[in-house]
Amino acid sequence: MGISAFARKGRLSTLAVGVVATLALSACGSGSDGGDGDVKSITFWYSTNAQDKGYTDLAAEFEAKEGIKVEIVNIPNDGYKDKLKQAAQANELPDSGSVPALDPLWVNQVQDLSSIANNEANKINKDLITVQDGKVLAIPSDITAAGLYINKSLFDKAKVEYPTDPANTWTWDEFLAATAKVKAATSAKYELVYDNSPARIRSWVYTHGGKGFQLGPDNKFAQPDAATVTALEGFKAINDDKVMPKSVWTSGADPSALFKSGQVVAYYSGVWQVADFADGITEFEWAAAPTPAQPVHATDINLGGLVTAFNGDKAEAAKKWVDFLFQPANYTKLAQTNGYLPIEQGLDLKYPFEKQAALDAFALYNKEIELADPISPSGQAAQTTLLLAGKPAAEDPTKVEMAKFINGEQDVNATVKNIVDGWNVQLN
Amino acid sequence: MAAETKKPPALRTPRQALNKKPGSRTGDLARKISSSSVLWLLVVVYGFPTLWFVMSSFKPAGELFSYPLTFFPSRFTLDGYAEAWTKFDFAGYFVNTLIVAVGATLLTVVASAAAGYALAKYQSWWLKIFAVCIIATTMLPGETILAPLFVVVRDLGLYNNLAGVIVPAVITATGTFMFRQFFVTVPNDLLEAARIDGSGEVSTFIRIMLPLAKPIIMTLAIFSFQWRWNDYLWPLIILNDPNEFTLQIGVASIIGAQNINWSVLLGASVMSMIPLVAIYLIFQKYVMSADMNAGLKD
Amino acid sequence: MVDTAVAQPRKRRKLNSYVGAPLLFIIVNLTLFCLFFVWPAVIGLGYSFTSYTGIGDAPFVGGDNYARLMDDPAFWAALWRSVIYTATVVPLSVVAALGTAYLLVSPYTKGKGFARVIFFLPWLISPIIAGVIWRWLFGENFGLVNFIITELGFDAVPWQSNADLSLMVVIIAAVWGSTAFNMLLFVAALKNVPVSYYEAADLDGAGAWQKFRSITLPAIAPTTFIVVLLSTLHAMKEYSLIVAVNAGGPGTANNLIVQYIYQTGFRKAQIGYASAASFVLLLILMIIALIQMLANRRKES
Repeated sequence: MGISAFARKGRLSTLAVGVVATLALSACGSGSDGGDGDVKSITFWYSTNAQDKGYTDLAAEFEAKEGIKVEIVNIPNDGYKDKLKQAAQANELPDSGSVPALDPLWVNQVQDLSSIANNEANKINKDLITVQDGKVLAIPSDITAAGLYINKSLFDKAKVEYPTDPANTWTWDEFLAATAKVKAATSAKYELVYDNSPARIRSWVYTHGGKGFQLGPDNKFAQPDAATVTALEGFKAINDDKVMPKSVWTSGADPSALFKSGQVVAYYSGVWQVADFADGITEFEWAAAPTPAQPVHATDINLGGLVTAFNGDKAEAAKKWVDFLFQPANYTKLAQTNGYLPIEQGLDLKYPFEKQAALDAFALYNKEIELADPISPSGQAAQTTLLLAGKPAAEDPTKVEMAKFINGEQDVNATVKNIVDGWNVQLN
Repeated sequence: MAAETKKPPALRTPRQALNKKPGSRTGDLARKISSSSVLWLLVVVYGFPTLWFVMSSFKPAGELFSYPLTFFPSRFTLDGYAEAWTKFDFAGYFVNTLIVAVGATLLTVVASAAAGYALAKYQSWWLKIFAVCIIATTMLPGETILAPLFVVVRDLGLYNNLAGVIVPAVITATGTFMFRQFFVTVPNDLLEAARIDGSGEVSTFIRIMLPLAKPIIMTLAIFSFQWRWNDYLWPLIILNDPNEFTLQIGVASIIGAQNINWSVLLGASVMSMIPLVAIYLIFQKYVMSADMNAGLKD
Repeated sequence: MVDTAVAQPRKRRKLNSYVGAPLLFIIVNLTLFCLFFVWPAVIGLGYSFTSYTGIGDAPFVGGDNYARLMDDPAFWAALWRSVIYTATVVPLSVVAALGTAYLLVSPYTKGKGFARVIFFLPWLISPIIAGVIWRWLFGENFGLVNFIITELGFDAVPWQSNADLSLMVVIIAAVWGSTAFNMLLFVAALKNVPVSYYEAADLDGAGAWQKFRSITLPAIAPTTFIVVLLSTLHAMKEYSLIVAVNAGGPGTANNLIVQYIYQTGFRKAQIGYASAASFVLLLILMIIALIQMLANRRKES
């Protein structure tokens, strides 16, 4: 092998030495465990793919005030529930967190937050907190709802009017007539794209006067009303590759990307799109429009993160931190910085968006939520009920069954039956 | 022809297998042109989707999905990269991932080489069963043993520890069988000769066999490095301390529950791929210049 | 660690039956196998006979989960779709990998350094990004391929709403993404073919194709075997790529077996049922692997 092989060997061993050195160095760096005997720091897990400034700012203020450092850990959404499950098994839950959902596996390890939720000064919307036997298990960090976005450039080009006040909203028929007109007058390819999610289909059903799939008092799902069935049929009818591209609901095409292409007149999604659109749409003008009512003015109110304090050995400090978060002055800052629709009422929020469209959108959504029909939060309420009954129901069957329906694999009656059965089999 | 090629002269001097200079025969130029054309056609086919991905990472967010489709950014920007870099502790996560990848790779190569050698050069019923067992490790969907595996790792005291990420990943069917299939092609004469010379089994393996397997070592190192570099769910579950988070945890935090920040994700993905390409180029050079192969066939 | 054991096999050598040395060689893998595979797998196998939901007790239900599985047409549909997918993707990716590997070690090609990187990159790209790339190319509504087709005056092709075309896109994406891995295995094997074989063939005036067939292919057969085996097992378990490209759609037409296990089992907290399905999959894969191994043994001898 001679000299060349020897030289190679030399390089190899250099590499090996480097590797060992790196290992040794980093082992030193990550060995310490932060020795806190008395409570000097607590952990707060949450998940965001936007900025985490809202929480880190408050954590700094909290540390200045109480002398307790809050370590904010951003856990990616994908796998967050799994991580909480396993952490509970290892007895390593965080001290506090904003979690995607409560889990029967560890729900007995959260503290009662009723003193915070019931504090009149906080004005927390009590319909949306998670209560069991008088115990408040979680307070939502924020609320979300359905949001309708239109391609304003296309509407303007086609000289088609659209409402701006939720109190004078349009019906689905008026809305679809308008988008059809816009599509005909411009080069747009589709009138509408519609998020592929159970929450979004719920608001479709509610606004068409249906009650949707509701949990009965026996904790079972029953056959829905006729209006729901008709609404589902109506939804399939607009998935015709003319009004809406079929690919979103049948094969996972990204509706947000389709809307951003500028070739789609409107997009029915959620309020959180505002932040993304503010930066992510530059090729055309967009606007938030009131969600249609046919005739029911409803939306699907959902919860952002669920803020909880766990009762580990730093329970007291953790609760203090959660209390701090929901004090109106602090919560105002949090909601403004993170772009939250608030869970607390009567706040004067000034969102830091630069785009007028984004500011208008938030004003509009706050108004829409006030006007929303009482059925609007029932979807998330059902999930909470099941969870508190100890049913770890995880999967809403609506999405898969609707995909089969739109793809022509089954008719509407089979779809409805499969959704009901799909729920009930998980409740056994 | 076949009869002749089956019996090559034993133990010839090492030489490059296919890298010998093409002769000056008339067909060579034509062959060069045709082979290279095919290669370049494949480069275009394989490279096109990748190139779009890399080009997109330089587009401003507003341009990513705009229609008509564009290939090159109309305005070249590094915003996605800059935001990805500041979004999480990129450098720190990078070092953690490096530790995991290097540690797991070293262990994987050693364990796989030894096991593969045993499966190739020794005959017994229990080794045959073991070979099937190793293959079985690739047969269960990840989630089936995720929760039970977590319990095991926790009971071994490896929770919240980089070792808990590294150790369960060491065993790999791919690695073990790569070595087995390689050592099968090494003539038994070589082993017998070493035994006659009084060399012990382990020392034969380390002194004679392992150096022969250098291309396999390098190839497996590339694989193992890539696997560990791109691991996501397991490190997320095992690691609690954000100071120990790995790169893919950071990259995954760009993907939200409701939407994805594409321009940041593209930038972060390109950045996280660079070290893998570097490792590949370095190690692949050793594979390509391996010169100890000739004449070892039986 | 290894040197201490040298003495023992030396004694056994005369008996011509080695136990200590091979045991020592496999001890690391054997330990890890028992700890990180057998132990969790046995727990999982236990779940498959219960109606465990992830919390609380796991009531024993005997073979109910398995019986239910046998009766579920969706399970068989997903399994069949996986078989079709595997039967298509494995031959294609083996040919692609061997072809690229051959070109990369051939003395007749120019630009190997660059090509090597280009072939390698797709393997590094995460499924979620691969999903965007391939939807960008084959998207039904605004994809590049349909853009070109319609510009040329033809009708747009339903890449997403036609089940077979949709599967084809996933297959293309899978071959593209997995070529590098198999290619590297082939490169290492090709570099290991003794040059003397080719020299002898050259003297005979054998053509390139002849040499490839009667020298290269037999010489790399052990590697080809492992490439085929691993690709088959991997393809049968494909999950993240298909979810990223078409979500198993249109509808449920392209749900592959692992997606079925996740969606009807784990995601719905039916751990017992999902575990049963996993072990049926293990059994099927084991049969496939054993057949391939036996066929290979026959060929080797």
